[in-house]
Amino acid sequence: MPKRCFFSAILLIALLSLPRLLHAQNAPGTTEEQVKPRSWNNGPPAKKVYVGQKSAPAPRRDLSGIWNAAAEGGVQAKGVLEYPALLPDHPQDDIGEQPDESKIPHPLPYTPLGLAALKTNKPGVGVRAVGPGLVNDPVDSCDPQGFPRMELFEFRVVEITQTKNQVLLLYQFYDNWRVIWTDGHALPDPKEAEPRWNGYSVGKWVDDYTFVVDTVGMNDKTWLDNAGRPHSGDLTVHEQFHRVNYDTLELTVTINDPKFYLQPWQALNKFALHRLPDDFDVQEFFCAPSETADYNKLIGTPASVETPQK
Amino acid sequence: MKHKLPLLFLAVAPSTFAVPLLAHHGNAAYNYDKRITVSGTVTEWIWANPHCWLKFDAKNESGEVTHWIVEASAPPTISAQGWSHNSFKAGDQVTVTMIQVKNGQPIGRFEGDVTLNGKPFPPHDNGSSGNSKGDPKP
Repeated sequence: MPKRCFFSAILLIALLSLPRLLHAQNAPGTTEEQVKPRSWNNGPPAKKVYVGQKSAPAPRRDLSGIWNAAAEGGVQAKGVLEYPALLPDHPQDDIGEQPDESKIPHPLPYTPLGLAALKTNKPGVGVRAVGPGLVNDPVDSCDPQGFPRMELFEFRVVEITQTKNQVLLLYQFYDNWRVIWTDGHALPDPKEAEPRWNGYSVGKWVDDYTFVVDTVGMNDKTWLDNAGRPHSGDLTVHEQFHRVNYDTLELTVTINDPKFYLQPWQALNKFALHRLPDDFDVQEFFCAPSETADYNKLIGTPASVETPQK
Repeated sequence: MKHKLPLLFLAVAPSTFAVPLLAHHGNAAYNYDKRITVSGTVTEWIWANPHCWLKFDAKNESGEVTHWIVEASAPPTISAQGWSHNSFKAGDQVTVTMIQVKNGQPIGRFEGDVTLNGKPFPPHDNGSSGNSKGDPKP
C-alpha cells in the first residue's frame, strides 16, 4: 500500500494548493470576485459624460494619469481652438480657396515674414483649404506632427507619468512622446542645439497644482495646426498644466515666435483634459508609411484628379 | 458570389452637412451637398491608418459592376463606436450612405446610416468622443 499512500499524498497537496494557485493569477490584494474583466483598445468618453461630474481634490504636485483630450475638442481640425480658421458665417464648413485669413473672426498677428510663410502651407481644411491634390500637409506623409502641433491637432489621449527627474507625456496620435526635465536641466541655446521635432523641454512646479513647461529648439519643418499656421526656428512655447481637481487638468499653450508673430498668442486657454480610468487601454495610432501609401493609391490620388482616369 | 445583389443605387434627398466626418486629409475632394446610398457585396475591409476603407461591388440593372471604395475614420475613432477590424467580411451585404468625390469616381466617405446583412451597423454607439454621424472628429 505505500504506492497508494504516495498518490493520495500528492492529490491532497494538489487540492490544498489549488486556491492559492488561482489567487496568484489575480492582481495583488484582490480576490477572484473583485476582479473585473479588462478590455482593450478603449475609446475615450464624450463630453456629456463629464457634465456635472463631482471630483475629489487634486493631489499635490501630480499630473500622472491617462487623460482624455478628445472630449473637449482636442482634435481641433479647423485650426487651434482659440483661433479657428473659419469664416464668421460658416462656423463649421471648410470654405477654402481664400487668399489669406483676413476675413476670419480672430486673425493671428502675423508679421510679413509669417504671412509669407503661411501662404506656402497648403492645408486641406479651413478658410485657406486648397483643392484636391494640392495639400502639402507634412502629417499626410507620416512626418511627425512635432511640438506643439501634437497638442493642437489630433490631441486625443495622453498618458502622463512622473519620475524623480522627468515628466513623460505619451501621446496617442502617431504614438509619440515627450520628455520634460524637472531636475534642473537648463534649456539649450536654440541657436546651438540640434533642431528637434519636439524640441527641448524643462518644467517646474510653481505651486502645488500648477506645472509650467518651456520648450525651445523645434525644427521648422512642422506646422502649428491643421490650418497650416507656420512657425519659424525661433519658436518658443510655454505650457501651463493646472490640476483643478482629481479628474480635471487644464492646459494653456502660449506661442511665442517673434519672427512670424507680432506678439505671443494663446493656442489653448485652460483647455480641459479629463482623467480616464486607470485601466483605460490606449489604442495604438501609428502612421505606417505602407498603409498611407495604400490609402493614397486607392483613395487619395484617384479622389484628387480633376477628371477620372478611364 | 461577389455580384449577386442587384444594384440599389438610390440618390437620397440632398442635404447639407454641417461637419465633415474626416478632416486631416483634406475635404475639398468631396461633395458635401449630397448624400447617396449604395448597396452591394463586400470584397474587402481594410483596418488601417490614417483611415479604414471598405471595398464592395454594386451591380446595376444591366449587370454592370461598380467597385466602390468608402473610407471611414481612423481605428481609434470608429472602434469606440462599435466598429472593429473584423466588422465586415467578403460576401457581406451592405447598404452604405456616403458622400462621393466630386470627380465622379466610385469613392466615398461614410456619412449616415449603414446596414450590414440587413441590420443597422454599428449595433451600438457608446457615445464616445468622435461620432460617425457628424461630430468633428477626423
